[in-house]
Amino acid sequence: MANASQADRSESDRLKRESTFMQMVRRPEAGSFVVMMIVIILIFWASKSQAFNALGIKNNLAIIAQFGIIATGAALLMIAGEFDLSIGSMIGVTGMTMAMVLKYGLNIPAIHFLFINTPRVPLLDTGHPVYAFFIALVIALCFGWLIGTIVVRSGLSSFIVSLGFLFGLRGLTEVCFRLINESTQISGLPDFKEHSLFARAFGGQSFGFLYDLAFATGFNLNRKGEQWVTGLDAKMIWWIIIGIAAYLVLSRTQLGNWIYATGDNKDSARANGVPTRKVKVGLFMFTAFCATIFAACQVFDTNTADAAKGNLKELEAIAIAVVGGTLMTGGFGSVIGVAFGAVTFGLVANAVFYIPWIDGSWYRVFVGTVLLAAVFANERIRKRITGGI
Amino acid sequence: MSEPYLKVEKLVKKFGPFTALNGVSLDVYPGEVHALLGDNGAGKSTLIKVLSGVHTPTSGQLYVAGKPVSIDNPREASAVGIGTVYQDLALNPLLSVTRNFFMGRELYSGLRPFGLMRMAEMDAITHDEMVKIGIDISDPRQTVGTMSGGQRQTLAIARAIHFGAKLLILDEPTSALGQKQQMGVLKTMMRVRARGDIAIIFITHNEIHSKLVADRFTFLALGEVIGRGTKADLEGEDIRRLMAGGAEIGDLAKELASL
Repeated sequence: MANASQADRSESDRLKRESTFMQMVRRPEAGSFVVMMIVIILIFWASKSQAFNALGIKNNLAIIAQFGIIATGAALLMIAGEFDLSIGSMIGVTGMTMAMVLKYGLNIPAIHFLFINTPRVPLLDTGHPVYAFFIALVIALCFGWLIGTIVVRSGLSSFIVSLGFLFGLRGLTEVCFRLINESTQISGLPDFKEHSLFARAFGGQSFGFLYDLAFATGFNLNRKGEQWVTGLDAKMIWWIIIGIAAYLVLSRTQLGNWIYATGDNKDSARANGVPTRKVKVGLFMFTAFCATIFAACQVFDTNTADAAKGNLKELEAIAIAVVGGTLMTGGFGSVIGVAFGAVTFGLVANAVFYIPWIDGSWYRVFVGTVLLAAVFANERIRKRITGGI
Repeated sequence: MSEPYLKVEKLVKKFGPFTALNGVSLDVYPGEVHALLGDNGAGKSTLIKVLSGVHTPTSGQLYVAGKPVSIDNPREASAVGIGTVYQDLALNPLLSVTRNFFMGRELYSGLRPFGLMRMAEMDAITHDEMVKIGIDISDPRQTVGTMSGGQRQTLAIARAIHFGAKLLILDEPTSALGQKQQMGVLKTMMRVRARGDIAIIFITHNEIHSKLVADRFTFLALGEVIGRGTKADLEGEDIRRLMAGGAEIGDLAKELASL
């Protein structure tokens, strides 16, 4: 029996404790960090640093934050093992809802369309940012709940279910626009940011103090020598809030463990008492929440809405999540990696503005290439951490 | 003899017209390994699914520690101290040992489910519980995917015991393992047995393994008990014959040679 005990001991000894460097390399965000650094250096060089001057940083971070907000939602859901292809259409629905309430108040013509000659309530005649946002949010959460519930109850692939909602919600947006507004876009809304702090929280500016500081120390000057850029977009704050919250939840909390467990093997998670269905439905609602924030930032920034808003955003969100190191099969991924992925994609999407000789369509070539490379890299990482199974 | 931790009385389970279990009785005592043997389709799986709350019995009565109980779902089973270690072990390969150990039952401070996990404490408990039944994992933060089959089996058993299992149901724990790892799992079982307060139901196809560790045997065939006894009662050929559902396989070697 001496031999057997020897064998038992050597079993654990075969796993070496790795150096800190190797542990870093094995983290899910390692690959996306390398890609991000390469992209930053290349764009810095090719744009002759134009992409990273005061205005360049603002414009880049605007799109990076947009990507970051929806990709965080998509990544959490993917870690739990599901997809949501309805994010883009959800942006359309919520953007429309907000703009419609802002334009018509709660006396939307549809009500008159359905119940002819209802008395108009003057109080509700004008829109208000607060209830515009919350009505849109409630609608989005309801749809998120519905998608999630259909997925967990039917056991169908979330790919198909959310694809149905991709088409359905987009069509619904267009129909409502035409029915109520007689046009698929709303423009010329008053600038609510002037009076409403709530509208400024989504469409206003953030981190003005950094730009003030840069101005005070002799940077951030326009040609006349005045302060050039006054601040970043408010989306930046939302990305940071959503990103940090998602990071903490995923890595530190009980819910985070449930999300990983649900995506890795939902049957074993359920056998151990993890409420996998609630986790999934909750995360479908979270992606809907992220889509609402995305739409709110857009509506209150531009004071316009359009039935086509958010088109294809769901695919970009999923691509960023994958490039950030999230496994398509679930159970593995990180919010930090997604942030790196968002920076990468945002910079490349905007590159055409700073590098005059480049064709903007290279963006999609880049997305396709990086996505494929990331999938291969993720698969290798997965095999390494699971010891090649 | 102390009283059995689990007493199964005339258990019947029907799936529509199909009778999976036809009046099965079983006594499982603490500090003993009870081997449950039988060919494929004998009803072993149905029996453990009833015991672990996956199926509800059609008729019959379960007693835990002398008290009649009804077990309608897995949560009720674990509430009365029945822990089942399935063949797939209910482990997640991409998660760390600790995260698997506490999956669904994390230690946290704050509001469920957003409470912060007490990771260091959970790491320490996982390591200690694994050492207690014989495996010193070097790093509880390693992923389960990097562990051997035997180590995974031990993790699943340690987890069940830590969360209060007084009756451990092991569903073919030695199948799909290498020779040395099988021995490791048997040793783990004997260490658990040595504690004296835990009853083990050991489901296996392997006659040698059952003889090595079991104190008591129950043989199932076609949903009925066809033989039972203690280690002393049953010797040699009896076990093999009963395992095959009562069929004579003594002449198998001769028969095979003639083909």
